[in-house]
Amino acid sequence: MSNIDTIREFVVENFLFGDSAQLTDEMSFLENGIIDSTGILEMITFLEENYKVKIDDDELVPENLDSLMNISAFLDKKLDGMSVPKEEGK
Amino acid sequence: MQFNLDVLKINCAEETKRVTQFVTEQVAKGYRRKGVVVGLSGGIDSAVMCALAVEAVGKDKVVGLILPERESNPVSSQYAVSHAKELGIEFREIDITPTVDSVASYSQRDEFIRKLIPGYTPGCKYNITLPTDLLDRASFNFYVLQVKLPDGTLEKKRLNLEEFRTITSFANIKIRSRMIHLYAEAERRNLIVAGTTNRTEFILGDFCKYGDGGTDIEALAHLYKNQIYQLADHLAVVSEIIDRAPSPDTFSLPVNDQEFFFRIPFDKLDFLLYAWEHQVPVEQTSKVLDISDEAVKRAFKDFASKNHATAHLRVPAYSLDGDVS
Repeated sequence: MSNIDTIREFVVENFLFGDSAQLTDEMSFLENGIIDSTGILEMITFLEENYKVKIDDDELVPENLDSLMNISAFLDKKLDGMSVPKEEGK
Repeated sequence: MQFNLDVLKINCAEETKRVTQFVTEQVAKGYRRKGVVVGLSGGIDSAVMCALAVEAVGKDKVVGLILPERESNPVSSQYAVSHAKELGIEFREIDITPTVDSVASYSQRDEFIRKLIPGYTPGCKYNITLPTDLLDRASFNFYVLQVKLPDGTLEKKRLNLEEFRTITSFANIKIRSRMIHLYAEAERRNLIVAGTTNRTEFILGDFCKYGDGGTDIEALAHLYKNQIYQLADHLAVVSEIIDRAPSPDTFSLPVNDQEFFFRIPFDKLDFLLYAWEHQVPVEQTSKVLDISDEAVKRAFKDFASKNHATAHLRVPAYSLDGDVS
């Protein structure tokens, strides 16, 4: 299963109670009320535990985590050891 | 939509009349009780509510309860006493430490914090904070536990959801203990419990269900924090209370409301919230407040997220008929 599919499954199971119809890859979680601010904390734990990555405080930005596509791209870079978007000014 | 730096200005005399009329009606007709009890935290909201209650029903029918626990800032009680004396009301100070400890002990909480930060020992001061610079940069709402170690250094740890929930549940026991004491007093003396939540807190969910949200009336819930300050001046609330930074006063290491919840400086917060609630366009809002469009968009997003995430706090309980209200 690809990263994006694994994350989609996690989101659908944990935040949409099995209803995947409303979720697209580009959709903003926060703007569409799919995941709230505490849900993001749940997502971070899932990513760190499932992919054995350490996500730094300054990586906790919407550009990295606010849609399936953003998370997938972020993870690809983390797993490849590449630099990832960080908060502005850092 | 008219939006400028005067939108939050209120006619304090008229507003006082409006609120006091509401309080009087609720005491006499809504609940048919003898007066009002207010929990005095030493902060601006409870000070204003208490002063309004005195205006409404008279100082002899208002009781102030000051409810510190062992980690409260001592100046909070001091300011609350000074305000109660100024108003001439009956007041009493009750240490709620045993109540809090009977639900979940401080030592249990200490143990939990020590698991997160091993250098923590009982008596170390701690708090939890959010990134405060939402207007300057985009970031999610993640809480950081801060502990001041015995050697004076500040150690920090980002909390995951379970850790955040556990620490919040400990903190909310303090707030709910106050509600129990307020209702014990209210029932015994046939009074109503007046809440002190303002509109800024109400809309964004900065209150605890069945804690400071467990009340008989919320006479300030239509007023932004900015307007509470206007009323405080009008009602001659003691200056120590007006001048201190708003704080939840729930953690032993001081933290202000911007660090704990709002993430936006108070001189901008209410204007942004007003603009979001009244659908003022982003460009108009940014121009009036002299901040970037991006900053306004981030604030609006955060408001939408907090309002959505805390919707359950604003209804008493759901039932098959909707909310039970």
